[in-house]
Amino acid sequence: MSAFDEFDQERQAIDTLLEQGYQVISIAEDLDGARVTFAPGGPGQSPVELLLLTADARKHVTTVVFAGSKPAAPIETGI
Amino acid sequence: MADLSIDLAGIKSPNPFWLASAPPTNTGYQVQRAFEAGWGGAVWKTLGEPVINTSSRFAAVHFNGQRVAGFNNIELITDRPLEVNLKEIYETKKRFPNHAIIASLMVEPKQEKWHEIVKRVEAVGVDGLELNFGCPHGMAERGMGAASGQQPDLVQAQTTWVKEVATTPVIVKLTPNITDITVVARHAVKGGADAISLINTINSLAGVDIHSWNTIPNVGGQGAHGGYCGPAVKPIALSMVAECARDRGVGVPISGIGGISTWQDVVEFMLMGSTGIQVCTAVMHHGFRIVEEMIDGLNNYLDDKGLASVTELIGKSVPKYSNWGDLDLNYKVVARINEDNCINCNKCHIACEDASHQCIDMLTNAEGKAILQVREEDCVGCNLCSIVCPADGAIDMVALDSGVAPMTWNQRNQVISGLNGSYSEAEVV
Repeated sequence: MSAFDEFDQERQAIDTLLEQGYQVISIAEDLDGARVTFAPGGPGQSPVELLLLTADARKHVTTVVFAGSKPAAPIETGI
Repeated sequence: MADLSIDLAGIKSPNPFWLASAPPTNTGYQVQRAFEAGWGGAVWKTLGEPVINTSSRFAAVHFNGQRVAGFNNIELITDRPLEVNLKEIYETKKRFPNHAIIASLMVEPKQEKWHEIVKRVEAVGVDGLELNFGCPHGMAERGMGAASGQQPDLVQAQTTWVKEVATTPVIVKLTPNITDITVVARHAVKGGADAISLINTINSLAGVDIHSWNTIPNVGGQGAHGGYCGPAVKPIALSMVAECARDRGVGVPISGIGGISTWQDVVEFMLMGSTGIQVCTAVMHHGFRIVEEMIDGLNNYLDDKGLASVTELIGKSVPKYSNWGDLDLNYKVVARINEDNCINCNKCHIACEDASHQCIDMLTNAEGKAILQVREEDCVGCNLCSIVCPADGAIDMVALDSGVAPMTWNQRNQVISGLNGSYSEAEVV
């Protein structure tokens, strides 16, 4: 798979969650990748964690947060 | 025709082209011939003590057919008595009153030694002084030159001693053989320096003879580190000039030195903050008359740009020189191959396959012709293909409008730390 395709899969996963109303509430980076925690945006949703591996997806998720909003207020995630 | 004159910390010169303190400025005969050729100023080869000769002393690095890509020397300061030099400086200044003569000085780090030489040199009418805290060899072994220049407190103290008696502008010449040149530059300014010049030569060993196993150069079979200069060092010099130019703690005019060989080099150094420049190796390679082409080229360039004075160039690119952490991570360029100019040598494909991101495909077009094509979505814009491409116009690096807002590394880390409530990465400066 090309590097772009790997990125595109991760980007779609991020964008899909955001479109469903999820919010990024934390990003933890380590040697294995960036663990992005999404808080539910509405009833019936559960918290989600994505492990992003590609450099461009990690950049994409921070760009979305940076461009779109101030850091989200603390939300009870239940995690 | 633009005005090429400059004023560097009070030292006036008809143009920004000065000879650096080095073999071409060893005698009045040489400096006067240089002024006749068109050089606007000269930094007289370092005066001081002791006066010693070494043989042999020069070596060069030739690369892929280009002679003197780099130049190495283990030469020392002037090999003639102070009085002889002073007499010739006086005569040269009398004959060329509008040209800049700066005396390069190096003595032991003692107050009385600096006072003595400054008074004696200024008495013959020099326009300024350049303190040699950069010579990497010979004198460094005796506590002078780079040995002083690598100790910021010594640079500050000696500059202070010079300023106690100097009546002309004082330029402090910096060694690049140090971790952060701005530290020394700031100490020079604290000592009262009116300007700084950089860079002096870089510690080097030009080579080893693989047959005799002797170093190049060697003195009777023994070698020692020398000072490296010439075109190969220009990027290092330019970077150090830029760092000093953007450092608010420095804030004094800069005389740029390091591999300058053409008028284009001069423009680059001035754009990056130099008020004037100094040249040595190119003159040692090609002679004084290279300045004619440099003057013509600079004049034409300024006319083309609609600039009335060369001083309008000074520092114009400094705001464009930033920290890595402040670069836009969302900026994207990709390579595009122009089939009309491509000679199908495949150098770009090999470079991309072996050393980058494997995004240049070897294809066959509808007419059965072999073509190279970039998969732009996989291209990271590294520039390698365009660097190795031998055909002009075959590869363009094209900026894409991603429609994404700019975001720097530091902003990215602020986002993450804002989310997480603590800093996850140190800010990059």
